[in-house]
Amino acid sequence: MNARRALLPLGFFTVAILAWQAAVLHSGQRALYPYPTGVFEAATRTIEDGSLFAATSQSLLRVLIGFALGAAFGIPLGVLMGFVRPVGRAVSPIVDSLRSIAPIAWIPMALLWLGIRGNAALFIVAYAAFFPFVVNAAQGARLIDRNLVNAARALGAGRALVVRSVVLPNALPAILTGARISMAFAWGSIIAAELAMGIKVTSGGSGAVGLGQLMVSTLYVRRDVNGLVLYMIVIGVISFLIDLAMRRLQRSLTPWRT
Amino acid sequence: MSDAAQVVLAPPPRAGVAGRRLTRVLEIVVALAVVVGLWQVTSITINNSTLLPSPARVFHAWLDLLHADLRQDVLASLAHLGIGYALGIATGLALAAISTRFALLESIVDPLIELLRPISAIAWIPIAILMFGISAGVPVFLIFYASLFPIFVNTVAGVKQVDAKLVHAAQMLGASRRMILTHVVMPAALPYVLAGARLSLGVAWMAMVAAELTGSDAGLGWRLFWYQEFFAMDKVMAVILTIGVLGYCFDTLLRALQARITRWSPDSVVDEAR
Repeated sequence: MNARRALLPLGFFTVAILAWQAAVLHSGQRALYPYPTGVFEAATRTIEDGSLFAATSQSLLRVLIGFALGAAFGIPLGVLMGFVRPVGRAVSPIVDSLRSIAPIAWIPMALLWLGIRGNAALFIVAYAAFFPFVVNAAQGARLIDRNLVNAARALGAGRALVVRSVVLPNALPAILTGARISMAFAWGSIIAAELAMGIKVTSGGSGAVGLGQLMVSTLYVRRDVNGLVLYMIVIGVISFLIDLAMRRLQRSLTPWRT
Repeated sequence: MSDAAQVVLAPPPRAGVAGRRLTRVLEIVVALAVVVGLWQVTSITINNSTLLPSPARVFHAWLDLLHADLRQDVLASLAHLGIGYALGIATGLALAAISTRFALLESIVDPLIELLRPISAIAWIPIAILMFGISAGVPVFLIFYASLFPIFVNTVAGVKQVDAKLVHAAQMLGASRRMILTHVVMPAALPYVLAGARLSLGVAWMAMVAAELTGSDAGLGWRLFWYQEFFAMDKVMAVILTIGVLGYCFDTLLRALQARITRWSPDSVVDEAR
């Protein structure tokens, strides 16, 4: 039974891929439809000329900077909102209303403020990464056992010490959950921002081209369907790896929480 | 690992004392006043109505738009959202139904979903443009694709967490298959399904804006770049705020609906903090 369970999907997908390949080759319209070996060729070509790695690392770099910015602003604000109730009540409507704006909607303003050199995309990513941090850090800090805080106070701990050794460790699991969501959201947003920028502004061979811009030029300039599918797969693999890494991090930093 | 595994329990609602409600409203008003005030001060300091239009300008632009294009754009966006979301929810529920019912199909559907799920809707935009051209097809397809996964994952998780003892008890008391489904499994899974529907709408909204920006010829997202062409940044800001307000309204609406429908269930707050 178990062997059959594993064999069935494996067989199904093998047959599906072979059928896909055969169908496209037989239709005689290889330029119109993507097909497995074509995607593989696109992969070897873009890896050899280095364009895939260059674009991917550009996008990843922006995601990491945006993520760090989101964490740097989001965690302190979230902890403050969760720990000091009046602040939380006052700020959360603001956060909620700004959170409802899809990050990508800011792209026209971001292009105006920061230019097309990639900083506009950075703004979108940081905006996207900021809110999961705020919401989850606030949640984590709010649900802290007040007895722990009071006990620390009674034993003579000052405000700074309470925050550092009671609030932060207790909010850490929630903050890490926020970090995971944030990272996933940031990765989706960078692609959206780069696509929008690529469609809006033809970046004439500037060095700051990310995966999104590469997709736009593949679509409109090279008209290479296989390349598009390849980039989609790359995007999927990276978000899978990001999620895996964030879960690992979560498990190793907060082992007491299964 | 499913997303529904992240269960966050909200604190119990406080007693609805009128005075407390008034303070809540006051807090929101003060918060909004502070934001608008800061925005006003910044725009005065910058003193460039293109770089940062003042709140008053944006409000006037919004009033102007209300009588002109805005209604049309909102309707176009809502049409994209309605069609795509309905298709996504229906497909997600159907896939969840067959994969929880037939173990054989689950072994095919499940890996397929897990393979596609990491590929975000956004990544499909170029292919969607190729398939549909610059048209309503792009946002509809993206909304469909984005809303498919949360509802599927949550529904499957909801059906799997149904207490087997309840099912066995119903069986022992002579309930038919159909009766078990409608009286035991469906009510028990409902909170998860609703949470999934709300998550789906959230991601669908984001996908909609991105798709309209890049591959559509109508809708709120498309309007953003349209006004940018004319450097009418006050109008751009008005559209951005409209997107935010509408997104907020949808989320609040579904949240209220969720709480009302599954009031009886302690799981009615099953959710993943976004």
